[in-house]
Amino acid sequence: MMKLLKIEFKKIRTYKVFWILFGLYFIFLAAGILLAEFMINHMVNDVNKRMPIPFPHIAIYYFPDVWQNVAFFASIRYVLIFPAIIMTILITNEFTFKTIKQNIINGMSKAEFLVSKLLIIFLMAILMTSVLTAGAFIIGLAHSGFNDIAFLTKGIPFMAGFFVSILCYMIYAFFTGFLLRNTGLSIAIFTLYSLIIEPVVYFFLRAPFMFRNTIYTYLPVNAVIRLAEYPAIPTLKKLMGLELQSHVSFTACLVPLGYAAIMTLIVFIVIRKKDL
Amino acid sequence: MNTILSTDQLSKSFGKIHAVDRLSFEVKKGQVFGILGPNGSGKTTTLSMLLDLIQPDKGGFYWFGKLPSKESRKRIGSVIESPNFFPYLDAVSNLRIVADIKDKGYDEIPDVLQLSGLYDRRNSKFRTFSFGMRQRLAVASALLGAPEVLILDEPTNGLDPQGIAQIRDLIALVASKGTTILLASHLLDEVEKICTHVLVLSKGRMLFSGEVRELLSVSDAIELSARDMQALKNAVKEIPGFISFTESEGIIHVHFDGPVSPADINSFLYNKGIILSRLSERKRSLEQHFLELLQENT
Repeated sequence: MMKLLKIEFKKIRTYKVFWILFGLYFIFLAAGILLAEFMINHMVNDVNKRMPIPFPHIAIYYFPDVWQNVAFFASIRYVLIFPAIIMTILITNEFTFKTIKQNIINGMSKAEFLVSKLLIIFLMAILMTSVLTAGAFIIGLAHSGFNDIAFLTKGIPFMAGFFVSILCYMIYAFFTGFLLRNTGLSIAIFTLYSLIIEPVVYFFLRAPFMFRNTIYTYLPVNAVIRLAEYPAIPTLKKLMGLELQSHVSFTACLVPLGYAAIMTLIVFIVIRKKDL
Repeated sequence: MNTILSTDQLSKSFGKIHAVDRLSFEVKKGQVFGILGPNGSGKTTTLSMLLDLIQPDKGGFYWFGKLPSKESRKRIGSVIESPNFFPYLDAVSNLRIVADIKDKGYDEIPDVLQLSGLYDRRNSKFRTFSFGMRQRLAVASALLGAPEVLILDEPTNGLDPQGIAQIRDLIALVASKGTTILLASHLLDEVEKICTHVLVLSKGRMLFSGEVRELLSVSDAIELSARDMQALKNAVKEIPGFISFTESEGIIHVHFDGPVSPADINSFLYNKGIILSRLSERKRSLEQHFLELLQENT
């Protein structure tokens, strides 16, 4: 295990594309989260100009809502796709450079090769969740000051939910890259599916006049995003008693985990059977 | 002698094409074993199967008397098709990954880089290497960890004459240390110069397998000339085993139905009163042999 990680780390240590994309991801994510409240309230101000009764400003950085809100912003399709693309590049590179062949020739087993990639995905998911958790905690502290611990950490399961989301979504990307073997094609198909095809299917499945069912919750990408599907907006709750999402559902986590498990299994079967 | 590799009815088809067809052969310790065949004869497919990159349809093979595993591959150094490295990593970093996989230390890296003449460029990214340097880095990587077997697939392909000579010297050096070498090539002259044993492959089928020396020792023609050419022409017809001769520029090429000894011919003709001004044995080159084998089998 340590040996595989050591090898994998050597492969990415001086890989500029990896670090640049990863850096951009964190910058965009941080900027998005930090500017969200300002932008929302800017819109509220605009609306209020035409309203007789002004709509109150929205606060999203207070404990415990900050956990859910940070998880929500980080789980938006357009943000989530960043680390997935990085993962696609890491796996398809092995085919482009034919280094997968060379690794096997040199004495790596095919299973070890896959495990080494899965380890990197796992580590990246842990790293991103840690950074996000630390960020959410700091933002929360800066806005709400110190409070009692139980209240402070109430929404922290949303971070666990984010870990499941990012882990599974990167495994989807790994699966796509492994089967297609070509960087451009993999990124194009993955992005097309995630950002266009599935949202369209989702729209038709959810349209109330079509089907009254919950099939849409089983769409692979939607299953990932659903874990933090809505932000927590206390103002809405107070005014209208409306709470869009109160917690991360454990059963909802099982859907993306199930997809990820099946994809991992397929990858292990394919590498045994298919010529490299 | 212990067997390093044995294959049993190894077969692989791509669609309707039999890339490798029931191939059985053995490589013993210390041999420089050449797999010779024209492009598309199944050389790379064979080597790819032996390195677990391609699954055979039928048949199997044994490395060091055991079923192949990642452990057996760690004892083999290989250069297959093109040099495969990470373009954004330097030579040393690429070799460190190889050493990690093979469970070997890094202390041999400077040695193999020296040996392949890349030491001065050890910190340059693989991307910046010329074709010849890439090929040499592949050889350096194959030599890492003192492998018991070296597999080389067209090792001199695309190299300039100097590069070819360097790689051949390197192979000779490694072979002299007792390393078993398995070399695929379509260059006859390469196999002739480097190999002790050869397997001739055409359309995935084995046409010949044996020692290169044995293949080359067959001489079936003798070049002769004498002051009295007419007497010579009459006399050669009486030599046992004579088939025919052809004449060109004052020399006759005499063909026999089997191996002949130049000494016997000399004494035979001397007894007939013919003094030879030229007597030379014409060995069949591997190339002729190879072309003959291919012709016989099409």
